Amino acid sequence: MSYFFQIVVSGVVVGSIYALAALGLVLVYKSSRVANFAHGQIIASGAFITYALTVWASIPIYISFFISMLITFLLAWSVERIFLRRLIGEPIISVIMVTIGLASILDGLIYLTPFGTKNFSFPLFLPAEPISIYGVSISWTQLVGVIITVVLIGGFSWFFKKSTVGISMRAVSDDQFASMSVGISVPSVFGLAWATAGLSAAAAGGIIGNITGLNFDTLHAFGVVVFPVVILGGLDSILGAVVAGIIMGLIQQFAGGYLDGNFGLNGTGEVLPYIILLIILLIKPHGLFGIHEIERV
Amino acid sequence: MKGRNTGWIRLLLTITLIIGMSSYANAGGKVYKVGLSLAITGPTSDAGNPYAKGVEDYFRFVNDTKLLGEDTIDCTIKDDQYQTDVTKRNFEDFLDQGIVFYLNYSTGSTLALKKDFDEVQIPVLPASFHAGNVEDSKYIFLPIASYSEQAVSLAEYVVKNHKGDKPKAAMFIHPSAFGRGPVSDVEKAVAAGLAMEIVEVVEHGNDLDNTAMLQRLMSKGVQYVICQTIQSPVATMLKDASRLSIIAKTFGENGKITFLGAHYTGGNDLIDLAGNAAENFLWTTSYTITSEPGPGTDAQLELAKKYGRDEKAANSHNYANGIMVAQVTTEVIRRAKEKGLEISRKTLYDELNAMNGDNSYQPPTTVGPVTYSLTDRAGVDSLQIYSVQQGKFRKIGEPITSEYMKKIK
Repeated sequence: MSYFFQIVVSGVVVGSIYALAALGLVLVYKSSRVANFAHGQIIASGAFITYALTVWASIPIYISFFISMLITFLLAWSVERIFLRRLIGEPIISVIMVTIGLASILDGLIYLTPFGTKNFSFPLFLPAEPISIYGVSISWTQLVGVIITVVLIGGFSWFFKKSTVGISMRAVSDDQFASMSVGISVPSVFGLAWATAGLSAAAAGGIIGNITGLNFDTLHAFGVVVFPVVILGGLDSILGAVVAGIIMGLIQQFAGGYLDGNFGLNGTGEVLPYIILLIILLIKPHGLFGIHEIERV
Repeated sequence: MKGRNTGWIRLLLTITLIIGMSSYANAGGKVYKVGLSLAITGPTSDAGNPYAKGVEDYFRFVNDTKLLGEDTIDCTIKDDQYQTDVTKRNFEDFLDQGIVFYLNYSTGSTLALKKDFDEVQIPVLPASFHAGNVEDSKYIFLPIASYSEQAVSLAEYVVKNHKGDKPKAAMFIHPSAFGRGPVSDVEKAVAAGLAMEIVEVVEHGNDLDNTAMLQRLMSKGVQYVICQTIQSPVATMLKDASRLSIIAKTFGENGKITFLGAHYTGGNDLIDLAGNAAENFLWTTSYTITSEPGPGTDAQLELAKKYGRDEKAANSHNYANGIMVAQVTTEVIRRAKEKGLEISRKTLYDELNAMNGDNSYQPPTTVGPVTYSLTDRAGVDSLQIYSVQQGKFRKIGEPITSEYMKKIK
């Protein structure tokens, strides 16, 4: 029975981290209707900044984790301010192409640092011994990762539902012109959306980097890995990202635990999430929690 | 007017002097052009970057210390970002430059350019040790034992040292030709009598957690996992295995799994990524490594110091890998020169094929000699087993060679 529960626990852990990594994509899409293809690079940047502050600047990891979130907050805000603000009102495809270009630029910049081509790992700061209950184990890194994910996602949900700025962001997402007419600064909302996405990406990068080690290829790949999560959950839904993340995590782990290696199957954990995604999209084209907009002509 | 004429004359004299001096610099010496295309950035650049530095430094050393007398090697290194189309473009540029020897990198691009190499009849040393590289090709030479030979040697090592019934093993591989290559050869070795059961072959993805896979392997009684991939997925798997307390502390420990891996799974990068979870990981390569000092590694570290490389690059087995292919290239040029032959693709190809028996070449960076012939296309046949002990790779026993690879060829 512990076999089953271990898979459930691992699925939830992986799913939570997917949800956190997906959060940045949702935040940008929610406010500006843009899919950010440079998200993986921002995740990697967050992890590398945390490492640099912790190891090279000798700042305790708890503090450097928050400083890196602040730095990526400013970095993402600057990116929006410099590259994307002038594209407000332009076709979405232009903005998407800019994010693809941005990914290339960030790749190039990271390759100029040691992180582009070298591997590192965070110093141990949590107990190495995992927590084991009735044969089910979870490492401290994973547990802390899940807690941070829950706190951040809870915080962002509250922010969007209750705070004035969050409600402004939702309003801009619904209708930019109507928002402007009631006095909301659309450019500021876009800037803030990118900045908060950067913040959550840094958190995801820090957690993933602690689990996998710091390898640029591995880290920036998560920007793509979480796309199915975002689409399944509904591109503009934070709750959707959480639910879809956990569904994806569980599917991968159950496929790995029960299907792979049996019935001549292999690698189903990689494929099955996409098959489920296609089936769900056939039934719910806007994802599990995506908003179905009805336009009256 | 006179002043202006004098100015022109001075300018012409200066240009003539500069041209004259640069001609003098190469006077009496020939320049042999070599090309290297590899992933300095992009996927696998953690291996490609130190590899490029090794090649660059060794050729600089050859020129600076006049190992070829007045002649020099001009090696152009181009980044292909692990993209075969870019590699092909780079290779064509190198051909236009008149290269006599080519150094390639990835399995994918080596397989894709195989016909091109044959067409222009140029000797090639890739960084990929995929056995398929040399099938139906006359011009590709593997620097060391193929991935297949490495995996079969690890399987043989398991069988030789395992106590009890027939050992049960799984293979953990990269989802590509690079990873899949050795699987059929290990299966052939088992069919040829190697007393081992291959329970499962696992192709990994971008996994954040391998718990389910590891539990499944445990439930099937797997005792050994042989890895043929890169360090990062192995590190994640080892961390999960460590959390589940299933890593064998001694070889073949009952109820636990002993993890082993081929060349690109190990090295200092694995320890950097996996930390303590890398303890007791068994790794094989044909290179000497700096955690087991000797004349070869001393020379490696000295070379890195001479050209200002950081500690990480200096201690990388991929830096040694790059040095080694540059050493082989230099050696064939030296031998051809010694015989008074014109340095060309043909003469260098012939020299490589003659590198056997008494003519074998022992670079300081490998655990055995480099031998090639028309039928032997893998350079160093010997493999050293290393194990992580207290955060360093340590040598286990003497270099080995595979018995079963000869049987299944």
